[in-house]
Amino acid sequence: MTEHDHDRRSEDIAAYMLGALEQSEAAELERHAEGCERCQAEMRWLTPALDALPESVERLQPPRELRERVMAEVRFEAEPEAEQPARAGLIGRASAWLRNLGSGPMGLRPVAGVAVAVLVVAAVAGFAIGGGLGSDGSNESTTLTSGKAPGVTAKMVSDGDSGTLHLANVKPLPEERVLEAWVQRDGEVEPVEALFVPDRKGQASTELPDMEGVEVVMVTSEPRGGSPAPTSSPIVTIAVPG
Amino acid sequence: MTVRKEKAERLADEELMPLIGEKDPEAFEVFYDRHGGVAYSLAYRIVGEKAAAEDVTQEAFISIWKSGARFDRARGSVRSWMLSIVRNRAIDALRSRAGKAPKLSFDDDAILEQRPAEERTEEEAMRRETASELRGALGTLPGEQSKVIELAYFGGFSQSEISRMLGVPLGTVKGRMRLGLEKIRGELAEGLA
Repeated sequence: MTEHDHDRRSEDIAAYMLGALEQSEAAELERHAEGCERCQAEMRWLTPALDALPESVERLQPPRELRERVMAEVRFEAEPEAEQPARAGLIGRASAWLRNLGSGPMGLRPVAGVAVAVLVVAAVAGFAIGGGLGSDGSNESTTLTSGKAPGVTAKMVSDGDSGTLHLANVKPLPEERVLEAWVQRDGEVEPVEALFVPDRKGQASTELPDMEGVEVVMVTSEPRGGSPAPTSSPIVTIAVPG
Repeated sequence: MTVRKEKAERLADEELMPLIGEKDPEAFEVFYDRHGGVAYSLAYRIVGEKAAAEDVTQEAFISIWKSGARFDRARGSVRSWMLSIVRNRAIDALRSRAGKAPKLSFDDDAILEQRPAEERTEEEAMRRETASELRGALGTLPGEQSKVIELAYFGGFSQSEISRMLGVPLGTVKGRMRLGLEKIRGELAEGLA
């Protein structure tokens, strides 16, 4: 390695550390630096300056819901698999249904590959994290979701054979869109008749008149008037505790 | 609070990482509480929207949860590693949003209007003080140096793109980046002296 070679490469060290080199340029510098102690020393010297950049930003308070979403996903993944077989089965079926969206009945729009990937995330992340009796004796389960609509919180209250689904943090829909709920029974997906829209606070509720045998509840955005079968990825997917 | 969480709170980041690698949620909760604020702030600084900043922060922390065991102590601090993950994801998010210009000012009104996070620990308070000093140090950089650093680090632009945007030779961009980082480094060294 010549002095000239070192000088030429070291000109790029600051840009490299700031992430401002093209991939090929970065790879070239890394190869050079592996055998160049002077470059390594320069990088070590500049590292505190680089570390200072993210620390210099104005501090904001992250929303509490963000912490809840992150920890819900973490706790679900940490749960021993043996404790979630039924849920996994339901989610697996829901995922299979989601993957088949594009090849389903007439009138379904094909789903782009990217969307399918998101769907699976939504299906996996959309799970019941708690269950129990409400103050009125009804059965409550709370669900946090991410993926298609990160930030949306869902709570389902079931009372006998009927139920109510409450959503919060739903982003405003375009005028020509509405929310439509779907239930899965024995592996078959069917629409819930009532359509609904979020209010200005991002809250939305719908009745689920017949919950008997329902395994999964999903909500999608559909054209005004609703659809006979889902045409978009769910914003929430909820495995109903058996 | 569980005993496990109390114990985790007494551990340094480097000691938490093996626990996170073993999928200990209490350890991860402590990790999030320590660094969630700065991660979200950095994400917001880069993407400029609350919802997008939340997405970036969530994705980054979940990826750390899934890959915590891959942290290499030899390559720097846990916090720097975590912030580099947040930064990379935020830049990816920024690039995927066509037509959105990155935020370029340290004195952005929208950021200043936000209520600052509550100071939970002395350590966090010290970090804030340091952050304030760092903003001061960055503010003392000549405009042309701080601009190229902001465009690169917070905007995700390459040195060639910056050269074209500013209409200055590539060599000038390289030089300004280097001088800017060296000056910040010098200020930090003086602060430690």
